[in-house]
Amino acid sequence: MSAALTAPTRVHLTRWVVRLHRPALYLWTALILALAAALLWLAGPLADAAAEAWQRYNACADMGPCAYDQDAILRYKDYYEYATYAVLAVPFLVAAWSGASLIGREVENGTARLAWTQGLSPVRWLATKLALPALLVTVGTGALVALHRHAWVAGDGRIDTAKSWSDFATFYASGPVVVALALTGLVAGALIGLRRASSFGALGGGLCVTAFLWFGIHLLIPHLWSTVTKVTPMAHNVGPSGNGISVTQGVITATGARIADAHCTADTTAQCQAYYADLDAVSWFNDYHPAAHYWPLQWIATGILLAVTALLTVVTFRGLRRRTTTPEGAAV
Amino acid sequence: MTDTAIEADALAKRFGRLGRATWALRDCSFRLPAGRVCAVVGPNGAGKSTLLALAAGLTAPTGGTVTVLGTTPGAARARVGFVAQDKPLYPQLSIAETLRMGADLNPGHWDAAAAQRVVAGGDLDPKKRIRSLSGGQRTRVALALALGKRPELLLMDEPMADLDPLARHELMGVLMAQAAEHGTTIVMSSHVVAELEDSCDHLLLIGEGRVRLAGEIDELLEGHARVSAPAQSDLSPHTVIESRTTGRQVSALVRPVGTLRADWQGGTPSLEELVLSYLRNPEAPALTPAKSEEFSA
Repeated sequence: MSAALTAPTRVHLTRWVVRLHRPALYLWTALILALAAALLWLAGPLADAAAEAWQRYNACADMGPCAYDQDAILRYKDYYEYATYAVLAVPFLVAAWSGASLIGREVENGTARLAWTQGLSPVRWLATKLALPALLVTVGTGALVALHRHAWVAGDGRIDTAKSWSDFATFYASGPVVVALALTGLVAGALIGLRRASSFGALGGGLCVTAFLWFGIHLLIPHLWSTVTKVTPMAHNVGPSGNGISVTQGVITATGARIADAHCTADTTAQCQAYYADLDAVSWFNDYHPAAHYWPLQWIATGILLAVTALLTVVTFRGLRRRTTTPEGAAV
Repeated sequence: MTDTAIEADALAKRFGRLGRATWALRDCSFRLPAGRVCAVVGPNGAGKSTLLALAAGLTAPTGGTVTVLGTTPGAARARVGFVAQDKPLYPQLSIAETLRMGADLNPGHWDAAAAQRVVAGGDLDPKKRIRSLSGGQRTRVALALALGKRPELLLMDEPMADLDPLARHELMGVLMAQAAEHGTTIVMSSHVVAELEDSCDHLLLIGEGRVRLAGEIDELLEGHARVSAPAQSDLSPHTVIESRTTGRQVSALVRPVGTLRADWQGGTPSLEELVLSYLRNPEAPALTPAKSEEFSA
């Protein structure tokens, strides 16, 4: 039979996935390199200059006007923000590309059907189409968050205006959560790309699913690890203390009861004192996550997102298999 | 090796969800022996493309079964070539790259020479990108990709629609040579009956999602007769597919049961007449292999 035509060899799909998405590969590489360079610059010269300016400012703060490089401080602050938002945009970029270009356009133009009628199964096709980008997304995004963390550490404690670890943009941009979100975006884009016949719809759908999951994990994160409670006597009259991601704040009454969200909205201190006296409050409490909870929160959230990604992957593959295989067709 | 290329049993495909669902194919049963050149004919929207997609393993049936080359469409994938109606190809690749991709994705049974011959016949520069090709040129590359796979079964949805008469003639010749040389079963859909009459030996007529006629074209033609009889003639017991009374004459296309009356003028219909008669008369009883066996029994 025809198998004798040429010696059987392996299917080489990977090189064609690279060839077909070559512009995206170049763009991705350029984006990662540019952002990595920017983050290194931020962590090095920019952070050093800002730290030095703060040092000078703090040294002469009590002695009237002094010379310090205010521009260096503002430059670090601005570029830090730009770089942070650029890293946070990566999952959306991946989801949009996956939905529109990687899968959606193939389904829309019918080239997916062309691929499925070659000598490989649709499942194999999808596996290769997802595995290679998943690897590149993990490596690229992973490098970015590592460098972002490096840039944040470079400013922490040296630059007074540097963001706290618990600032949400900083929290996401310098941890593995954003890598997991990029992978979720990749799979979500593919799932919708296979289901919707328009690449534009898949683009929007991929973005929506990614945004929705990000929002969900954002609501979930404070509750993923048990909080630390800090109690401050009311006499200090400074409000609850303890820096980090706060979950519940309020006052404790003389009977030991906790009243959450007991914020005084009055204008004067006297009115507020009366308000708290009315509640019979003796101290503030703050249930929060201190800096030591950074990694547990990051890794648990990452784990949840990876589990969701795995689930979406199973749904995507099962959908494709059910769509292209006859019910009796156990052999693929 | 099986002697059956495609066998469908009560095959059905529904699109859309409950309420708004439409049946593209319904209760579709037929058997196509291997080695035939089969024309799938029917009006637009009859279910031809759905049938081919089911056989190619691109979509799963809602009901019934389809067996391709003795196995499931999914398992037969490597042995089946498919050319979709809109001839999808990757626009960013060159012709040469497209064929190299065919070689990489069909290991063990890629016939580079055959694929190149089809492209060379169109005097195409292999370095040219797919996006710069005309519709007819794309068809040629799509056919080259499908033939290079050296399929045992080649499914083509409206393959010739974009081609000029010369290219159509030449590529039909290439296809027929392939069928003759390698025993390839060829199934092509069309709504232009005339272009299939010379090259096809098997017919599958589909109308409104059902098989109306299935069988060898010669046998189908011999199994029908065109008759001209006086207007009051009783045409029974023959099965009347279509009849038209003009003046004192009735002309009809019938499936004779036994011999026709000698005083009726008659003849064998052309393929086009046969097809049109069935399409014009959806109520006419279908003739599929199962039923024709009943007839001969």
